[in-house]
Amino acid sequence: MFAQFLFISSALLTLGGAVAVLVTKNIMHSCIYLLASLIGIAGLYATLGADFVAVTQIMVYVGGVVILMLFAVMLTGGKDFVSRAQNLLGLAPSMGNRWTFSVGILVALVFLATNIKLILNVSKSIPAKTFGNEFPSTVNQIGHLLVKEHVLAFELSSVLLLGALVGAAIIARPRKQ
Amino acid sequence: MMGLASYLIISLILFVIGITVMIARKNIVAILLGIELVLNAAALNFVAYSRFATNNLDGHIFSLFIIVVAAAEAAVGLAIVIRFFQIKETIHVDEATTLRN
Repeated sequence: MFAQFLFISSALLTLGGAVAVLVTKNIMHSCIYLLASLIGIAGLYATLGADFVAVTQIMVYVGGVVILMLFAVMLTGGKDFVSRAQNLLGLAPSMGNRWTFSVGILVALVFLATNIKLILNVSKSIPAKTFGNEFPSTVNQIGHLLVKEHVLAFELSSVLLLGALVGAAIIARPRKQ
Repeated sequence: MMGLASYLIISLILFVIGITVMIARKNIVAILLGIELVLNAAALNFVAYSRFATNNLDGHIFSLFIIVVAAAEAAVGLAIVIRFFQIKETIHVDEATTLRN
């Protein structure tokens, strides 16, 4: 019962936040709606019994990536942040125009139509497992998997993070004139 | 109700909205927001399959690595956005036409 309530509210939060990211004019508000959508995805992970992934999602995305996005928005405000001449749809120039929106929605409809059938077939071919309400903790097993079977990917991800850190610091360095 | 199909449909809708954001918006930061939505849809698919179709936790591991790669990608992408703004004084994507300034 509680799991179903959590599932429905998380799904609504996720999809509503994603739609709001698409249609909001102000890019700062888009970042905040992305934050709502990411919290909803963490709730969906919780309903799947993936407690460690849910907490990591909240820590990394809500605490890191969205804050980084907000810093980038504030650092790149610029002159056309407020308003420039508005285009056909009455949208701000950073929103794109009617042409880009129609192309995007066309691609979305084609993708949706080709994948709905696939998803329904997949769910028919995989038998529905029923679980009780018990969710055993996954932290212990994930720790063993990370340092035993997937240790190469674990170390490579640390090298990737170091490279991204140094690369971002070098790229964003102020230019010398 | 809470079967595999409902999670897959949520993930599909999230992916499609992310693709639409990436195509429709003209702001570089908004395009990065669309990329985050797409990556999250993929990670949600991994965890859903790991629960309903297998008995191990490899999907969780893959989802964790997707989160790590997304964080690294966001850091480098936003550094590039800030550098681009220092050169061009705008973050409109139509201004990005040359590799050198």
